[in-house]
Amino acid sequence: MLSSTTRLGLGLASSFTRPTFKSAATVAPSLLSRSLFIKTIPQPPGNIIDTVNEAYVAPPPHKLHGSVHWTSERLVTVLMAPLMITPMIAGTTYPLADGIMGTLLMYHCYAGFQSCITDYIPLRVYGVWHKAAMGLLAFGTLVGVYGVYIIETTEKEGLVGIAKRLWAL
Amino acid sequence: MFRTQLLNFVPKVQLRTLATQAKQPRLKTFKIYRWSPDTPDKKPYMQEYKVDLNACGPMILDAILKIKNEQDASLTFRRSCREGICGSCAMNIGGRNTLACLCKIDQNEAKETKIYPLPHMYIVRDLVPDLTHFYKQYKSIKPYLHAKTPTDGKENLQSIEDREKLDGLYECILCACCSTSCPSYWWNQQEYLGPAVLMQAYRWMIDSRDEATHMRKEMLQNSMSLYRCHTIMNCSKTCPKGLNPGKAIAEIKKQLAFD
Repeated sequence: MLSSTTRLGLGLASSFTRPTFKSAATVAPSLLSRSLFIKTIPQPPGNIIDTVNEAYVAPPPHKLHGSVHWTSERLVTVLMAPLMITPMIAGTTYPLADGIMGTLLMYHCYAGFQSCITDYIPLRVYGVWHKAAMGLLAFGTLVGVYGVYIIETTEKEGLVGIAKRLWAL
Repeated sequence: MFRTQLLNFVPKVQLRTLATQAKQPRLKTFKIYRWSPDTPDKKPYMQEYKVDLNACGPMILDAILKIKNEQDASLTFRRSCREGICGSCAMNIGGRNTLACLCKIDQNEAKETKIYPLPHMYIVRDLVPDLTHFYKQYKSIKPYLHAKTPTDGKENLQSIEDREKLDGLYECILCACCSTSCPSYWWNQQEYLGPAVLMQAYRWMIDSRDEATHMRKEMLQNSMSLYRCHTIMNCSKTCPKGLNPGKAIAEIKKQLAFD
């Protein structure tokens, strides 16, 4: 009676060890799903999928989730540094620089929170809740970008002006 | 000349006085994590042992072996080489992942030493963590040479410079100290490979004889396997062999950046 998550990969499944594993299987789901308020997906005991002899299987390669994502994160951060300093030296009369800064800031925040979600609300445990969190973040970011647009079109000195006034408080 | 003779003389006197004082036992408290699968409903607990430091070797491994031999034979842990080359006795000693055989006992008897198994791992018993998944991850990076038949039909040659690139990488003994010190590995070990395995992935990536670099790189092109590393650097801080897995991961990221 070996399930797909068995620990016994070396023909050790003797009748002697079986009862303990069976009893463990009946206890496991309630123990392993860390349900607080929302239902989580139960994880295999010992994180072992398949037998102990099978290698870990990486998710399918997807550059947009891998190197492209990482590089864009770094590039945006590097670009933001001079844009942060520009208004301090050149003044607040460049709405284009301000607009770019605001948009990059939105992406920077998006990437940062996205990282938090993949870390703490992983798809393999939270399933649909992971997707909901990602969706909510994307929606929030879009609203943020729209907010940047509003600020740039209505505020006199743009984002920097708001920061200035907050500073003065 | 006179001085060296004098110096030779002095320790002998000190040794003699020490020998008489040694009868006073220097009892140090060790608190060790205990859990047994035989009593699965009993919660893990910390058991106290007192060891006389005068009658014990200098390393933590000596102390726990002494406890196992003389006080409690049921204390379970892995050990093999007792010189830091096998990686069996990796455990969390005084809040730091290290090898028990390379970790000196704090000689201050007033302070107790706490010993836990490697953090955030499934425990087999007492100080023995279940490393099955760790080994499965190691297997997945295919840690062996992928090369066509060598040009001379006999051996794959490597220049001295190319061989030097592997220094600081090949010494890893896979004790899992670094991986289990990494918070990212704690939260997502099922999908994130962890510093130890990634360092070995890098070791094979930069091997001049290896021809599977593309396959090795492609395997890491997803959000989980490699990019769960947030440069926390606990790995490099804790490595009992003084290696730098954090740097190796950074090098992989650099290689992949515009791939």
